[in-house]
Amino acid sequence: MPAVTFSTLMQYEAKSIARGLQRRDPDLLDRLIEQYQYRLFRYLTYITGDKARAEDFFQETWIRVLERGHQYDGKSKFEAWLFAIARHLVIDWQRSKKAQSLDALTDPTQESPLQVPNEDEPSPLHQVLAQENAENVHSSLKKIPAIYREVLVLRFQEELQIEEMAGVLSIPVSTVKSRLYRGLDALRGALQAGAA
Amino acid sequence: MSDNMHTRALQLVAKDRVEGLAQSENDWLAKHLQECESCNEHARQTDRALRALHSAAVSLPADLASRTQFRVRLRAMELREREPKRRMLWLACGLSWVFGIASAPYVWRLFEWFGERTGAPKLVWEIGFGLWWTIPALFAVIVMLLENAQHSGEPEWMKPGR
Repeated sequence: MPAVTFSTLMQYEAKSIARGLQRRDPDLLDRLIEQYQYRLFRYLTYITGDKARAEDFFQETWIRVLERGHQYDGKSKFEAWLFAIARHLVIDWQRSKKAQSLDALTDPTQESPLQVPNEDEPSPLHQVLAQENAENVHSSLKKIPAIYREVLVLRFQEELQIEEMAGVLSIPVSTVKSRLYRGLDALRGALQAGAA
Repeated sequence: MSDNMHTRALQLVAKDRVEGLAQSENDWLAKHLQECESCNEHARQTDRALRALHSAAVSLPADLASRTQFRVRLRAMELREREPKRRMLWLACGLSWVFGIASAPYVWRLFEWFGERTGAPKLVWEIGFGLWWTIPALFAVIVMLLENAQHSGEPEWMKPGR
């Protein structure tokens, strides 16, 4: 059964990460930073709404992974644990600033527009179109309340399962679902309004 | 077609994207979307929104990974250096507790004798005895606070949200 094999491999990978983190294996950490850099940075950029801040939190998240690696047991996906750490850092920072919600992290005046990565050297037209899409999505997401923005990013960009999201967000599965439905509705509305 | 059917169709369009549909729901929705242009357009808009979200790219800052790897390695070295000191601290605390328990009856008598000699009220020398027990814990707390104070003095660039 291919599915069983894949799931077994994933479990093995998670256990091997957990063992490496227990030992604070520097090579493993280097590899994980490389492997998850894009996904973690994208998640932080969307939840903070600020790339410079996302960069700070990115580095701080990996420091926490090093310091608290022994808490990861390998029973869940590593990325779910990683996003939970990143999220807690953002929330702690936000609390220290006495803000009321994740929305307070977004400062439109400090924001730089998101750009398209040029790793594969796409054509100029493709770059313009992709950048327009990224900017449109980014500005639409900013119009959506942070609690909905976050679940949309975790589900449809990071492709986490609903149960995993419940773990990352520390909320019941039913709440994750209701936020996803509302977020989906809000995203469709915001993108339509942006296109109009 | 009743309003209820359209409402159900829109709910199923969302459910399909969020948690998936049962076969019967899927069949019903497919049939409805073939017949209803407005619900079909709603489904297309939902898919367009999700495609746009899925394909939106974020550019990575230059050398983000290597800068982070460097910081993580520095911190790992710091933690490795601190580990033996921490072990010694716990060992010292453990030994002092063991010694404290073993010597408790003698220390009690000593405090009692000292209380009688000085005429101090019983409560005072009993509190003195209690404080004697807290000395190792106080020492450990002071060492940890000093360590934390050193750590909080790290450069500003190492803290989030500068």
